[in-house]
Amino acid sequence: MSDRPLPLPDPETAFFWEATARRQLEILRCQTCKTWVHYPKPSCWNCSSGDLKPEQVSGRGTVYSYTVTHQDVPGYTAPFAVVIVELEEQAGLRMVSNVVDVPPEDVRIGMPVEVTFQPVAEDVWLPLFKKR
Amino acid sequence: MMRDVAICGTGYSAIGRALDTTVGALTLDACKAALNEAGLTPKDVDGMATYPAAGDSVPCFYVVESLGIPRLDWFEDLFGWMPAGITPVIAAAHAVARGACDVAITFRSVKRNRERPPGIGYGFRVPGDMQFRAPFGDPMTSQWLAMWARRHMHTYGTTEEQLGSIAVTFRHHATMNPDAPLRVPITLDDYFASRIVTTPFRLLDCDFPVDGAGAVVITTLERARDLKTKPVKVLAGEFATGPRPDWDQWEDLTFMASKYCAENLWRRSGLKPDDLDLAELYDGFSWLALCWLEDLGICPKGEGGPFIADGNVAIGGTIPANTHGGSLSGGRLHAISHVIECARQLRGECGDRQVKDARLGVVTAGGGLMAGALLLEGNV
Repeated sequence: MSDRPLPLPDPETAFFWEATARRQLEILRCQTCKTWVHYPKPSCWNCSSGDLKPEQVSGRGTVYSYTVTHQDVPGYTAPFAVVIVELEEQAGLRMVSNVVDVPPEDVRIGMPVEVTFQPVAEDVWLPLFKKR
Repeated sequence: MMRDVAICGTGYSAIGRALDTTVGALTLDACKAALNEAGLTPKDVDGMATYPAAGDSVPCFYVVESLGIPRLDWFEDLFGWMPAGITPVIAAAHAVARGACDVAITFRSVKRNRERPPGIGYGFRVPGDMQFRAPFGDPMTSQWLAMWARRHMHTYGTTEEQLGSIAVTFRHHATMNPDAPLRVPITLDDYFASRIVTTPFRLLDCDFPVDGAGAVVITTLERARDLKTKPVKVLAGEFATGPRPDWDQWEDLTFMASKYCAENLWRRSGLKPDDLDLAELYDGFSWLALCWLEDLGICPKGEGGPFIADGNVAIGGTIPANTHGGSLSGGRLHAISHVIECARQLRGECGDRQVKDARLGVVTAGGGLMAGALLLEGNV
């Protein structure tokens, strides 16, 4: 676990990691057109508005795609599954994560999941997902 | 004024798994071979482009200095995410077409850094968008594109056997290419026996890392007619990306930027997929070639798997693809080898693997959110 890469928050992404440290999942939302914007950017990809604010999301979604990786990468011992979760708030609103309570070989597209939080450093909690 | 443009010379360095030489020396060997094929010398060169971005190659200035080129009137070192092997070729074709230079040499050279494991280019704290991937065990391109392939399998029923048929077909082509580093035939059993890298990709779904360089010389069609080799006309060179250019925010992971690139290619050339005699499709991973086939319109969307498994892309099939073995068996040269192979096919010089009466070919590069493509014509 200790060699797991950790995020380096910057002014655009700090809110996200501050929220996960409170065990909340927040995503930037355009206050003009209400589009959810991820990954965090200073401008809305839909309407170009710069008026974006973090809002809490439900944490519920489904597995959009996945891969089971059979070689070690920093912090992860093979085999392990990486998933793209599509959040229920918006079609195409996706994030990379892991499913914690399902063996890698049993992960499937369409699997309903919800967020859970795991500490990986004193100040960093990762948003992971469990089956729902 | 736009001038007609042609490829007039192609060349390789040695290509091998771990060559005991520098990437600079490999680059110069490829450039000299390409100039020699055209019957040109470094004194004739007045334009240059390359992609030295990953730190695995050398920039234009290195080649200017080393070859003794007196002067360049146009050059570009290209950086960032882009279809690395084909971008310099298209840029050079456009530069010659608009008269910025008359003889442009382009190259893509690769020397692997064996000190650094794949995907680990970061410190312990990861900046930018990668801070949303690397902490979740997702730092490698193979993983990102594996999730595109998996989504395609889910949506269209594409199978592992069909992915395997890509590797088997391209290896068969490589058996007829003396320059290919992997020339031992494989079967689907060999494919399924190869270790899983990241599902659905096995080792034989991944391009074969090599050290090597390829170079392509471009000049006006008019000048090319007086040179040593038969000219291969550049009919079109196009790029595209789409909305949300990101590895997982992309609108739909079952098609790539190649869809938009293909629209540009056919609209601007006035040609159509049925006109093609061969296709050299970027295959950094097997599925990319499958998706290019679909996105180019060579087969209907979602039918790439059966199309390949039925033998359509084999030499002798309806649209031979990756006749040199592609990157899977010919080595990872980021599609500069695809350009060279297409030009040589259109000149009719490919021996046992020659596609009969090849006149029009497409070359593609890039996967996921970036795409570039060339249309080349022989017998001009």
